[in-house]
Amino acid sequence: MSTAAATSVLGARGLRKEYGKGEGLVRAVDGVELDIGAGETVAVMGPSGCGKSTLLHLLGGLDRPSGGAVSLNGRRIDDLGEKALARMRRTTVGFVFQAFHLMEELTAVENVELPALLAGRSPRTARRRAQELLEQVGLADRARFLPSALSGGQRQRVAIARALSNQPLVVLADEPTGNLDSAATLDVLRLFERLHASGQTLVIVTHDARVAATSDRMISMRDGAFVDETRLSGGTSGQLGALVGLEE
Amino acid sequence: MQQEVVLAMLAKEPSHGYQLRARLRGALGPLGDAMNAGQVYVTLTRLERAGLVAVERSADGAERSDRKVYALTPNGQQRVAEWIAEVRWPRPDLPEFHLKLIAAAAAGLADPLTIVNTQRRELLRRLRAAQRAAMAEPEGSEAVLLLEGIVLRLQADLRWLEACEQSWTHRRSGS
Amino acid sequence: MGRVLLVGRLAVRDLGRRRIEAALLLLAIMAATTTLTLGLVLRDAAGDPYQRTREATNGPDVVASVGQPAGRSGLEDLAGAPGVTDHGGPYPVTPAELQASGRTSDVQAVGRDPAPAPVDQPELIGGSWVSDGGVVVEAAFAKALGLRVGDPVTLDGRSFEVVGVAVTAAMPPYPGASCMVRAGCISGATPDDLADPELPAGLLHNPGLVWLTQADVRSLGDPDSLSYVMNLKLADPDAAQAFVDANLPESPDAPRLASWKNILQEATELAGDTQILLLIGAWLLGLLAVASLTVLVGGRMADQTRRVGLLKAVGGTPSLVAAVLLAEYVLVATVAAVAGLAVGSLTAPLLTESGAGLIGSAGTPSMTMSTAGLVTAVALGVAVVATFVPAVRAARTSTVTALADAARPPRRTGWLIAISARLPVPLLLALRVAARRPRRVVLAVVSIAITVSGIFVALVLNAYLTTQPLAGGYAHAQVELLRQVLLVVMVILLSLAAVNAVFITWATVLDNRHASALARALGATPRDVSAALAAAQVLPALAGAILGAFPGGLALFAAINAITGGDSDRATLSSLWQRLAVVLATVLVVAALTAVPARLGGRRPVTETLQAELA
Repeated sequence: MSTAAATSVLGARGLRKEYGKGEGLVRAVDGVELDIGAGETVAVMGPSGCGKSTLLHLLGGLDRPSGGAVSLNGRRIDDLGEKALARMRRTTVGFVFQAFHLMEELTAVENVELPALLAGRSPRTARRRAQELLEQVGLADRARFLPSALSGGQRQRVAIARALSNQPLVVLADEPTGNLDSAATLDVLRLFERLHASGQTLVIVTHDARVAATSDRMISMRDGAFVDETRLSGGTSGQLGALVGLEE
Repeated sequence: MQQEVVLAMLAKEPSHGYQLRARLRGALGPLGDAMNAGQVYVTLTRLERAGLVAVERSADGAERSDRKVYALTPNGQQRVAEWIAEVRWPRPDLPEFHLKLIAAAAAGLADPLTIVNTQRRELLRRLRAAQRAAMAEPEGSEAVLLLEGIVLRLQADLRWLEACEQSWTHRRSGS
Repeated sequence: MGRVLLVGRLAVRDLGRRRIEAALLLLAIMAATTTLTLGLVLRDAAGDPYQRTREATNGPDVVASVGQPAGRSGLEDLAGAPGVTDHGGPYPVTPAELQASGRTSDVQAVGRDPAPAPVDQPELIGGSWVSDGGVVVEAAFAKALGLRVGDPVTLDGRSFEVVGVAVTAAMPPYPGASCMVRAGCISGATPDDLADPELPAGLLHNPGLVWLTQADVRSLGDPDSLSYVMNLKLADPDAAQAFVDANLPESPDAPRLASWKNILQEATELAGDTQILLLIGAWLLGLLAVASLTVLVGGRMADQTRRVGLLKAVGGTPSLVAAVLLAEYVLVATVAAVAGLAVGSLTAPLLTESGAGLIGSAGTPSMTMSTAGLVTAVALGVAVVATFVPAVRAARTSTVTALADAARPPRRTGWLIAISARLPVPLLLALRVAARRPRRVVLAVVSIAITVSGIFVALVLNAYLTTQPLAGGYAHAQVELLRQVLLVVMVILLSLAAVNAVFITWATVLDNRHASALARALGATPRDVSAALAAAQVLPALAGAILGAFPGGLALFAAINAITGGDSDRATLSSLWQRLAVVLATVLVVAALTAVPARLGGRRPVTETLQAELA
């Protein structure tokens, strides 16, 4: 790994994922190179079917690459066994999904404490942490609600709290606002801004420009490969009015 | 009709006025039906006066506008190059951007994809600024509504730019 | 009419799509119906050889005997009683001890004329009829002792030769016996019983039947203590029992009577006991079939409710869905009933002892309306009971609700979830898996409890049969048959229970696809998940096994005794260690059965499942 990656929290080299054979070969991810530094928020944008979700799954160890390497905190994870991957996921990576994927029969606080329980924490510690996190996302008063009693935006915020349960190195979010309306999206974006401000490394896959606009770096993806990268932070300053073209 | 559009149309090769009109109508489709027939000629005359366009000797030396052959002057070429590189985004003028891409491709002035991506970057930065401003506003502020409106329209524009990028990628790989 | 046809068509098409499931259901119900049919028709099938013997030998309607010479006049009076059309005898009977090639046995020797008797002329199946110095041996007794025509035997020390082997309908075949002698007889005794000093002397132990000439019998026995037996033919054979009741003995010397129906009962006693075993087995299988069906139905209803939208196009509603489901199961049950009836009646003859003591082999019993009706009712009953609750629930749901609902949402059991948080990860997941579908857990427990109760009873019965071989007056071959029947019923029960266990596990795995994938995404290892899925089966199995081995088995045994009026004192119940062994074995077997589906469930690709399923 190059020295530039020395502080990189999440890195990929020549990452590939293929399905099928011969004529039916589909390259979902085709030679991706990536370095994400601590505290960065990176957005991957692209049309549907471009392989961004697959990329996220590969980065989080939910799927095995066909070729190339993925490393988290300097350690390669693509050659780990299932058990080691599971343990890695507990402490290093937090997932947020488009479909929320909360357990329907557990209350909000029970959902949030689950990763901690799976990591072997005592029930009391896990419960306390879960309640803290719910407060952070502004849902402390809904701790005992079932997901069916929560709105889409609230469910996603519970999911984000859950992802933070074990203080992960990286939070990976797959279309986090895909199922949300405009107001709920704003709530989630606020949350992401706060996470970013607290130094959390965040990788977001999205096709919503508003979500991508919150990132420091935006990468365009097409047909499994990166085609463009934009630095957004430290961007245009100056009069907002000019920016939004109010003077004509 | 933006002057720069007509200028860019001439970048590929000198043309008659009616040829220009035909190309514009072809590119604009149904939107072109609203175009006034004489507008192209008015713009050409203005451009001629500004020194950006010159009339070439026509074969039979006719004086009628529709038989003249117009060509870019060096000033005109420079103006076109500047326009291509511009990232102004006034109240969304979709036809202008659309024609910019077509002209650039036809005349080989620049890669349409680069134009699209550059514009996207700019819009993204604006979106980010507007969004942050909206989130920074205190609760109940009136400005939030306006900022949200700006954010949403920028989002829509960005979606269109994505579509442009897809379309032009296909055109390139197809041709 | 149109709706009925529609329901029928949809039901058939649906079954055709789920062939494996339909086949399994069919087998489950068929196991119960076949066993039930066997149980119901067995006695009829066993009775055939007796009937044939009766016809061939012109068997008596009533057999009368007196213990001593003084009662002989009483017999002769009977010969003239109203309703009696013909008689044979009185013939002298004496007890004796037979020895042949080292084997000894008590016998009752009946003196007969060489000429054919008008009533009960035993049919020879080898050799010739009585002559001086010759003895004709009853066929089952001859087989038990290995006697053949021409063998030398001694009776009370005197030499005789076996001149013939014959069958009769006047007495049940060996080792059953009607006691004619004054000294009394005892059948089916253990060596311990026989050593009892309180027993009267001279008691015959499991006597066989032989025929001699009258002269031989008189010379063998003590003329002062000869017994006599007479065979009567009545005008109306069906009135035999009434005749017996009308002429009950009023003094020790008066004749004792037995009707031909009594003898038939004794001759088919083995079949009768086999019948009880089969009926018990049928009961257990029926219960197990209900459990299997309920699991299946539960899963299917959730599935079907989602397809209500499709049926709406043909004017369908949730009640239509319920009707189709009911129709499917009724169809399967009807086919199972018919198949069970056919297989049962065809195989019944195989289970009756290929009789030594009677003519011919057992025949295929004719199907009576009541038997067919009962078996069909049971099959349909199983189907309806299993489908009832879900069908009613579906019928009451409005179409709108059905369309809006996703599949049956999992149940929430708050306290279980709280407890599970304190447990290690596999148990945490296992408890939560179980808590989502409490009804299925109950079904699993009940299935195992039924099976283990059955095993418990089978072990007790098997021990009883093994340690007391002449129990109930059975010969070794007959005991073997009973044990075989026991084994077959147990094997079927165990097979069904095993299939059930695998089924339930598979249903649980499928049900928990999303939860398993999510748990793994959040950091549970595949082994944790597999262990949880398996434990969610093994723990209920443990509970069911304990229930079955302790209270369950005892309750079943008591119920059987109550129904059959049996003597439970003679059977020793399994010891504590044996019961614990059964519990342990059950848990291990269930763990083995569920290991494969559980392991597969823990290793499904996470991303596919998460992307396919929505929250």
